Amino acid sequence: METNLVVEGVKFMFLGMGAVFLFLALMIVTMNLMSYIIHKFFPEPQPSVKSTVAPQEDNKKIVAAITAAIAHHRQG
Amino acid sequence: MTTHLEETYKAQPFMDMIEGFLHSTGIDALMNPRANEMNAHGEPISDFHKSWGRVIMILITFLLFYLAIARGFEPLLLLPIGFGGLLANIPLAGIGGDTGFLGIIYHMGLSNQLFPILIFMGVGAMTDFGPLLSNPKTALLGGAAQFGIFGTLVGAVVLSEYTPFFDFTLQQASAISIIGGADGPTSIFIATNLAPELLGAIAVASYSYMAMVPIIQPPIMKALTTDAERRIKMTTLRHVSRLEKLVFPILVLVLAILILPDATPLIGAFMFGNFLKETGVVDRLSDTMQNALINIVTIFLGLAVGSKLAADQFLVPDTLAILLLGIIAFSVGTAAGVIMAKIMNLFPGHKVNPLIGSAGVSAVPMAARVSNKVGMEYDRTNMLLMHAMGPNVAGVIGSAVAAGILMSIFK
Repeated sequence: METNLVVEGVKFMFLGMGAVFLFLALMIVTMNLMSYIIHKFFPEPQPSVKSTVAPQEDNKKIVAAITAAIAHHRQG
Repeated sequence: MTTHLEETYKAQPFMDMIEGFLHSTGIDALMNPRANEMNAHGEPISDFHKSWGRVIMILITFLLFYLAIARGFEPLLLLPIGFGGLLANIPLAGIGGDTGFLGIIYHMGLSNQLFPILIFMGVGAMTDFGPLLSNPKTALLGGAAQFGIFGTLVGAVVLSEYTPFFDFTLQQASAISIIGGADGPTSIFIATNLAPELLGAIAVASYSYMAMVPIIQPPIMKALTTDAERRIKMTTLRHVSRLEKLVFPILVLVLAILILPDATPLIGAFMFGNFLKETGVVDRLSDTMQNALINIVTIFLGLAVGSKLAADQFLVPDTLAILLLGIIAFSVGTAAGVIMAKIMNLFPGHKVNPLIGSAGVSAVPMAARVSNKVGMEYDRTNMLLMHAMGPNVAGVIGSAVAAGILMSIFK
C-alpha cells in the first residue's frame, strides 16, 4: 500500500501550525492573566511621587531642550 | 623493552623506507585513493569522494573561512564548522572517524543531542522576555513565521513525489524544513534525531542563512508592505515588573508540560537558563551559561557539525536540494510573519508595524535588528528594535514547539 507523501505532508502542516498557534495563543492568554494578577495583587513598590514634583522649573527647561533636540534631529 | 622492539621491528632497506614514506603522504592518498578506506560509518567510499571530493570540500571550507572572517557571516559558528570540515577531509588521518577526535566529540554531544540543549540553556540566559511580556499579542507573529517550516515540508515532499531528482523520506523532509525556524540549535536537534545523514548540510544551510538574514529579509519585507504601513509607529512598551519576568519561564514550561511534553527538552533548557537569570540570586551560574558554557559548547558543536562535512556525506545531490529548500523555508517564514502582522491590523486595537513580523523567524537578535533598520530607512525616528524583540523571542518558542510536534509525530 503506497502512502501519498504529499497528503501526509499537508496533514503535518495543519497539525503543526495548529499546535504552534494553540500553544502561543494559550501563552498569550495566560501571560495576560498573569500580568493582571501580578499588577492587581503584587504591585511593585512605586518610587515616591513627591520628589519629582519639587524641581518643576528645571523639568520645564529639560523638556524644552529635549523638544528642541528632537526638532533639530528631524530636520537633519 | 629493547629486546621486544628488536623482535617486532625488522631492519628495512633505506629505499623501502623512503618509498613507504612517499606512499603515506597526503598527496599520494589524494592521487591514488586507498581501496580499503572507509567513511565514518564504516561504509566504502567512492574514489571520487576520496580524491577530488576532498579537495573540493577543503576549498569549500576555505570559502566558509572567507565568509566568516571577511564578510562577518556568523563567525562564531562558521569558523569551528569550517575548520572541523577541513580536518574531517584529511585523507588517512581519520579525524572524523569513530576514534578520531572529531568523531569522539560528535559522539560525546551531537549524536545524543546534548550540545544543542546546552546552547539553548545559554540562549535562555541571554534572552529578555520583557518586550514580549509588555505586548503579548506579538507572539502570534512568531507563530506565523513557523509556516516557513511546515510550508517547506510540503514543498519537500512534493519535490520527492513528483520529480525524479529527489527522494526524501518524511523524516528527511521534516529535518530539512526545520531550517525555516531559523534556529541553529533546533535544526541540529531535529536533524540528529530524524535524519543524521543530512546533518552537515542542514547545519551549514541553517547557519549560513541566519548569517544572511540582512540580505534575504529586506526585499521580502518591502515587497509585502506599503509605504504607509512601514511608517506605522507602535505605542511605547509598558514597564514589566520583575515578578512577571520571573513567573514567565515557569508559565511557559508548565504549558509545554501540559500540551507538548516532546518540546520540553528544548523549552525546559531554555527556560532553565532564563529562570536563573531572572531570579537575580545566582548571577554566577547565569553568567557562566551566558559566557563560559555557551562558548565551550559552541566550539564542540561547531567541530562536531564540521565532521559531517566529509566529502562522502556533503558532496551529494541532496545537499543542493537542502540549500535550495532552506532558503525557500527562510523566505516563506519571513513572508508569513509580515502577512500575519497585516492580518492583525485588520482587527481593532493598537496597530502593528508589519516590518516586525519578519522578526518572527527566530534568528535572535539579527532579525529584530533587520526590522529596526528597514523601519529607520523610512522614518528615522521610528525605533522598532524593542517591538521586534517580542516576536523574535516568541519565534524561538514557536520553533521549539514546531520541533516538539515533529518529534512527537515520528516517535
